[in-house]
Amino acid sequence: MSDTLKLLERQAAWQKGRVALTWAEKIRMAEAVRESVAQLSRNRLPMASGVSASGHPPDDSRQQG
Amino acid sequence: MHAAGVISEYALFGAIAQMKYTEPVATLDADVLVAMPEPKGLDVLKPIYEFCAARGYRPEGEAVRVGAWPVQFIPAFSPLTREALEQAETADFEGVPLRVVGASYLAVIALSVGRAKDQARIVGLLESASVSRGQVARLAARHGLTEAWRRFEARFLDE
Repeated sequence: MSDTLKLLERQAAWQKGRVALTWAEKIRMAEAVRESVAQLSRNRLPMASGVSASGHPPDDSRQQG
Repeated sequence: MHAAGVISEYALFGAIAQMKYTEPVATLDADVLVAMPEPKGLDVLKPIYEFCAARGYRPEGEAVRVGAWPVQFIPAFSPLTREALEQAETADFEGVPLRVVGASYLAVIALSVGRAKDQARIVGLLESASVSRGQVARLAARHGLTEAWRRFEARFLDE
């Protein structure tokens, strides 16, 4: 368990360290993952309760996949 | 667009602006807050779409595709967003000066909207120390959001 916590702490520190990147570098990182995020959003399936994983009602227009 | 008189002022906001202050975050589009010189009729953004279309930038849903990004133009819709636009900072983007909504305004606009991703934005801005709780509280109070800020603090910040 302590190894897992250490791993999570290292990951959190690594993520927070990215705040030091330049604005342009951060936007390029966001651009690199944007299509993947869009694909995930399109493929998101409604949960049994009728509420999506984001906590909002499912939006059929985004569920094309 | 500014030089052509289509817009009187602009500033980047939303996730793209947030990334100036915080670690990178995932986003699907770029949001631009705009003020129009003479808003006419209900379709206040029509001059922007026409200006973009004349230059080959096509509409894509509620956005205009510019390079890799769908860009969404949002008119300054409240005293808070109009003030955010007036007080925007000029930031350097690889040699290009761009207007960007300041961290305290990003936080209080997020507070006023209140979705889950807006709440995460406020936490990110506070964690990055680009804005303090006191700054957010003061700006929120000036725009009638004291109760919303109190609830946010109780839910996300206070032990």
